[in-house]
Amino acid sequence: MSENAILADLKKAVLEGDDNLAQQLSQKALDQGIEPMTIVKEGIVPGIQEAGELWKKNEYFHSDIILCAEAFRLAMEIVEPKMAAGERGASGKVIIGTVAGDVHNLGKMMVIATLRGAGFEVTDLGVDVPQDTFVQKIQEMSPDIIGLGCYMTSTMVEMGDIIKRLESEGLRDRVKVLIGGVPTTQEFANEIGADAWGKDAFDAIEKARALMGV
Amino acid sequence: MGAQCHDHTVHLAEIPAKRFFSDGKFNCEAGAQVAGYYNLDSIAAGFDAYNIEIEALGGKMVYGENSMPTIDFRDPLVKGPEDLARLRKKHVDWHNDGRFPFVLQMDEENLNYGMGTSMFCSPFSMACGMRSYPKLIRDMRKDPKFAHELFEFIVDDVLIPWVTVQKEVTGNINAIGADAWACIPNLSIEEMNQWVVPYNKRLADMAIKKGVLVMNVSGDYNEERMERYSKDILHKSFDVLIASQGGIPSIFMAMGRTQDYPLQDVKEYTDKLKSQGKAPMVTMGVNARLVRDGPVEQIVDFVKRVIDTFARDTTLSMFIGNIPADAPSDHIHAAVAAAHTYGKYPIANDLDTIEFEMPHRESFKEWQAEHGLTLE
Repeated sequence: MSENAILADLKKAVLEGDDNLAQQLSQKALDQGIEPMTIVKEGIVPGIQEAGELWKKNEYFHSDIILCAEAFRLAMEIVEPKMAAGERGASGKVIIGTVAGDVHNLGKMMVIATLRGAGFEVTDLGVDVPQDTFVQKIQEMSPDIIGLGCYMTSTMVEMGDIIKRLESEGLRDRVKVLIGGVPTTQEFANEIGADAWGKDAFDAIEKARALMGV
Repeated sequence: MGAQCHDHTVHLAEIPAKRFFSDGKFNCEAGAQVAGYYNLDSIAAGFDAYNIEIEALGGKMVYGENSMPTIDFRDPLVKGPEDLARLRKKHVDWHNDGRFPFVLQMDEENLNYGMGTSMFCSPFSMACGMRSYPKLIRDMRKDPKFAHELFEFIVDDVLIPWVTVQKEVTGNINAIGADAWACIPNLSIEEMNQWVVPYNKRLADMAIKKGVLVMNVSGDYNEERMERYSKDILHKSFDVLIASQGGIPSIFMAMGRTQDYPLQDVKEYTDKLKSQGKAPMVTMGVNARLVRDGPVEQIVDFVKRVIDTFARDTTLSMFIGNIPADAPSDHIHAAVAAAHTYGKYPIANDLDTIEFEMPHRESFKEWQAEHGLTLE
């Protein structure tokens, strides 16, 4: 199979959320000697980028995006270990987690996929993440951006507390804070002193890029 | 004007979340006091309607100190067909397992406040709760046989017994299903017609034989990006909702950015229903984030616009959906006052001639003290 054909099929598999096929084609591409960065840039990422375009046109819904995100994740799992260190995360480094008391994951999954598709190196801290973990990971990993997610109005208040904690730990100036989640708004982000608010997974890309000055 | 305000009640009344979400009498009393404070027209603090059945079946929950319980999606109840097979054989005590007693107690207490409707988690949202939304979507696309088995189990073996028991205990013949997961843009209209409506209908058909009229609040239009707003999809979402309510022409807009959607598009739909000889009802939600963020002027303006659009010729109620925990009380007072000011029947021809006066109210604690009320 030609390189172009594999990459086209891989893009289609990601776009259509066929996670098994996306994994298989990623491995096949590596086996055929295609450069990992090429597989990512011309196969995997275009799949999720086109999903974003279909989303904006109202042709894709969350059900489509979540499957794309999963296919993207599994494809990247195959390829990313083969990438050179300098090839990963050229856009910036992000750590992301759902705040303490909240175990919702859906939005975060989609944001991780879209940010990685946009060239960010993203570390997922999981759900129900205590403040201590955010602090520790910022100290360890020196990310450019910390992403905070929540789903419930009762847990969104934690985001403001995290920002205050970063201030008290002397970390606030070291990192940009990007928040998102169903109950959040730009007004809320302004209120708690976050640097940006992502309306959805695709808006998160724009906001993260803006935070990085690109 | 009604409201769903469980998170806000816990925050406003400074009461322990765990007790609020497990003690039916306490929940109702707290909800009644908050409703009284805000001059709401019905008691509606509410509870975590999405979790009750799953928890009783053995699903793992996360109980936060100040937050609503939530399903632990890290460890779903149904990880695969083997779990479904196990659940089919599980003996369930529909009166006493999990927090069934809490809900039954609330159902009975609510009767004292004029509320005679049971609640349940609708089939699609329950399937999301059991599998997680991503896995369920994958099932629907890649293993539809298993997905159908799951939905059938939910309707036949979980919801029918549960709504029947609620009726037996309270006499409630109405039951409303919460179905926030089945909204635009979580699902396309096609997916709703394939997976949401059929099982809502299955539930309704089976429940009526038990003497229970069920209505599922499914298909809510919840588009966040106005550039994605579509009148066509909005109208089709109403079709889904009405089909999920046994054809009752009641429009309920719960979670979406209703303040930004063109109200005339909703009116176009209700006018169409009228032309078909139907008597539509509209329950228009006041968006939770608008209520939190304000400004007051925008909240009042929205309530006024809704009344101006619908109240003269359509049965209208308004509803503040899931008031955020820390929403300023003034914003809620404003919404209620606007409804009561502009919504006096007969509705004035020109609402601009009516002067709106922003109420200046005491705090909830002060109100409680004035009325000799506590929550213990």
